Amino acid sequence: MDCQAEVNCGLHLVIQTSSLPEKNKVEFKLNKETPSFPGRLLQHDLERNYSSRQGDHINLVSSSMPSFPILQRSSEEKILYSDRLTLERQKLTVCPIIDGEEHLRLLNFQHNFITRIQNISNLQRLIFLDLYDNQIEEISGLSTLRSLRVLLLGKNRIKKISNLENLKSLDVLDLHGNQITKIENVNHLCDLRVLNLARNLLSHVDNLNGLDSLTELNLRHNQITFVRDVDNLPCLQRLFLSFNNISTFESVCCLADATSLSDITFDGNPIAQESWYKHTILQNMMQLRQLDTKRITEEERRMASVVAKKEEEKKRESHKQSLLKEKKRLTINNVARKWDLQQHRITNIATNQDRKDSDSQDHCQNDGSTISAFPEETGSLDSGLTSALQGLSVTDTHLVEVDGDTLSLYGSGALECLDRNWSVQTAGMVTTVSFTFIEFDEIVQVLPKLKIKFPNSLHLKFKETNLVMLQQFNALAQLRRVDQLTVDPQGNPVVNFTLWKYYVLFRLSHFNMQKINGTEVTQNDMIMAERLFGILAHVASSELPQYHLISILGDARKKQFRYLLETKGKKPGIVNEENNDSKRLVGESTNRATLNYTTRDFYNEKLEEIKEKKKFCKMYIEDLVKEATEINMKNEALQKLWPQMFIELVRDAVMEIRNKNSYMKLCLQQITDQK
Amino acid sequence: MLSPERLGLPDYEYLAQRHVLTYMEDAVCQLLENKEDISQYGIARFFTEYFNSVCQGTHILFREFSFIQATPHNRASFLRAFWRCFRTVGKNGDLLTMREYHCLLQLLCPDFPLELTQKAARIVLMDDAMDCLMSFSDFLFAFQIQFYYSEFLESVAAIYQDLLSGKNPNTVIVPTSSSGQHRQRPTSGEASMLEGVEAPLFYQCLENLCDRHKYSCPPPALVKEVLSNVQRLTFYGFLVALSKHHGINQALGALPDKGDLMHDPALDEELERLLAQIPGLVNSVTAGPEASCLPARTPPRVGSPWRPLHHARKVDAESDGSTEETDESET
Repeated sequence: MDCQAEVNCGLHLVIQTSSLPEKNKVEFKLNKETPSFPGRLLQHDLERNYSSRQGDHINLVSSSMPSFPILQRSSEEKILYSDRLTLERQKLTVCPIIDGEEHLRLLNFQHNFITRIQNISNLQRLIFLDLYDNQIEEISGLSTLRSLRVLLLGKNRIKKISNLENLKSLDVLDLHGNQITKIENVNHLCDLRVLNLARNLLSHVDNLNGLDSLTELNLRHNQITFVRDVDNLPCLQRLFLSFNNISTFESVCCLADATSLSDITFDGNPIAQESWYKHTILQNMMQLRQLDTKRITEEERRMASVVAKKEEEKKRESHKQSLLKEKKRLTINNVARKWDLQQHRITNIATNQDRKDSDSQDHCQNDGSTISAFPEETGSLDSGLTSALQGLSVTDTHLVEVDGDTLSLYGSGALECLDRNWSVQTAGMVTTVSFTFIEFDEIVQVLPKLKIKFPNSLHLKFKETNLVMLQQFNALAQLRRVDQLTVDPQGNPVVNFTLWKYYVLFRLSHFNMQKINGTEVTQNDMIMAERLFGILAHVASSELPQYHLISILGDARKKQFRYLLETKGKKPGIVNEENNDSKRLVGESTNRATLNYTTRDFYNEKLEEIKEKKKFCKMYIEDLVKEATEINMKNEALQKLWPQMFIELVRDAVMEIRNKNSYMKLCLQQITDQK
Repeated sequence: MLSPERLGLPDYEYLAQRHVLTYMEDAVCQLLENKEDISQYGIARFFTEYFNSVCQGTHILFREFSFIQATPHNRASFLRAFWRCFRTVGKNGDLLTMREYHCLLQLLCPDFPLELTQKAARIVLMDDAMDCLMSFSDFLFAFQIQFYYSEFLESVAAIYQDLLSGKNPNTVIVPTSSSGQHRQRPTSGEASMLEGVEAPLFYQCLENLCDRHKYSCPPPALVKEVLSNVQRLTFYGFLVALSKHHGINQALGALPDKGDLMHDPALDEELERLLAQIPGLVNSVTAGPEASCLPARTPPRVGSPWRPLHHARKVDAESDGSTEETDESET
């Protein structure tokens, strides 16, 4: 029913009221947006009001107090609607003074421009106060309204919850659509059932203790990152946290203890996008009946617990693995440091000792000094252990790791692992062997073992192995086959040489390598390698004296000889592994086999050994020379003396036979004497 | 052959001069080392092979440094071997650092000392920027001088230092401006600063040295030639001049002239043959041998001890085996 008060000299306020529902009790249902107040709020009404600023039927009433209009109602209205007063959309900028309405119970100031709550302190019977959609910046002027039960302050500009101390009967407090940053000063509202703080600037939720009757808490559309104190709300049934900034369950973990909660929403939070969202919530909040406005079924609950268990296990697993990884990393660091020391890169040895000690202490703290887990040896593995990390043997000084198809060795102590018994399966899978922080000379010595134990190793990687001479690559020729070779520049000075790749291709041409340091080997590379070093091979093989050839090739050649002798008897047409091997061996040795590499230590050892022999030879030759010179001297002396001697011989002979008769007698005498 | 002066030497001296003992000792030592293998095919054959290889200059391949350094003939053979083996590297045009050359040297002699290579590099680079790249020919000739005449050079260095510090009583250093010596390092802007020593004086000292050192010395006449062109020169200038002097190179007899350094038709042919053996090769490469097989190979150098001897018998019994092998499997 519309009624209009008469305007007298433009001093009265024109009021437009609409029909109010008859019931006195205020029923209040909270939904997403604004509460639907008992009263019609038509969209086009709103627009109309906003557009018409000139308000032809509103006149301000002047009074004793400047700018405060005074409100008066006609007596018929007062009788009809004695306890309610609606002043919505009146373009009010201030609260008018309401005279003679002391028994007012409902007051509606919706959709105005009121900036301060004033002039209502006399309405001490007020139960329902609606100031929705105004410009109020501060809660004030309510201290006398001790009976107030519903306070609607949505869509204002309130920055702080304050001045509610006396409103102990408050049942519904609606502060949605404001600029509130903190929940405070509500702890005394022990009758409060509904609290709406949606669309504010809250960043966290706490300080909720004392709200012993709170049933519904709406916190949608804030910036909440964590929630606390909710477990102190004994009656809370519905909690709406949609469209906030919650990303982990830990930040709302108090909800697990909120046993009264049955309905909760998290949609629009980062947490709802996580894969573990649903079952983590369900698992931790068994008391829930609805999640994100959907009923939770038994099936879902069951699934949730299963998944949660799996997650737990996975987490445990990954924790274990990260522990292992950490240990591995520490060991590698240790090995690296030891290596640097060895290479005389670190000068200050004292501090290193300290650091090394502390490192080993760390290890001890972790898990004892040795962890060894070999699938074939132990046989019992954690069910969750993934196959990615199979054999891992870790000590302080070296590291051996088998990772599917790669065997990685760190530190020279790791070379001992080649002596262990490896299962055929594991060993067969290994195609790549990587050496780090190990002297190449030491690696050379174990290459035969490598050949036997890991027959499928086709790719060799060297890093920090002190490869300095091209010659060292000769040592790789003894392997069965190498498809790929990776020599990391770090710690391998030989890579700085422009021709190293060609030398490798040349010396190991019988392997037909596919890749060196990641780049494919082209036909041109092979040609260039041959072109550069082919003559070296030719000289090394064809111009080397035979005995030298033999001494260099030594055992290999002997074996070969024997094999060739045997195969001559074999039937043609049989082509087996050995045949191919021998062919390759033969092909290898015709040209390059003389290009060997002996480690520096061996070489020096050999030279030492030879010293003895050399000394002996020297003495022997000296003796020979002495003999020879003596003989020579005698010879020369003879040469000198011979003419004289010859003359004397001749003279003696002539003298002897000067007298034929006496000579004949002498001869006969000699003959008879001989008998 | 039977020149009186040769016969006039006492025995030991004669043997020592010709280093006969060194080779005998080494031969016996080698025999001892490999007696099981060698006894299989006869000691006489071993000695034949050994001395043949000494004549040919292949005896120094893969031997220890102390042996290579032992006689001038060994040194010259080593130089020649190095040239022959790595001429292709030079031909390819690569410029290498001192360390790379050292690596190549180590391929032929595993314990070759770095100092020698460094000294050789110093000659090429005039003691500057030791990491610079050097061409094959530059390095090779400098290395030749350094290696073959190492003792001589040490004495020269000592003499040079003496001269620099003016110890020689005969010194009368006339302050002359350092006129365009092509081998000298540029002066640091002070025209009065004297670089190096006076050439004639230097030559006198060297002559004395040569007389003392009966062998392993560059022919004095050639040294005189080198020194006659300049007024003053530095130590490294002198060395560079030595290394680039054709006469000295020829006197050594190990390496061909600079112009012919990259030519070795015999080995080139061999190389082409090897290249042809690479599986799946493009035809253009095999066209090479035909082109290079021009009129007869250059006649062997007259008087050089390194005439290529063609072995009558096949050198590699392995290759024997291999061809027979393939023959068998092909039938």
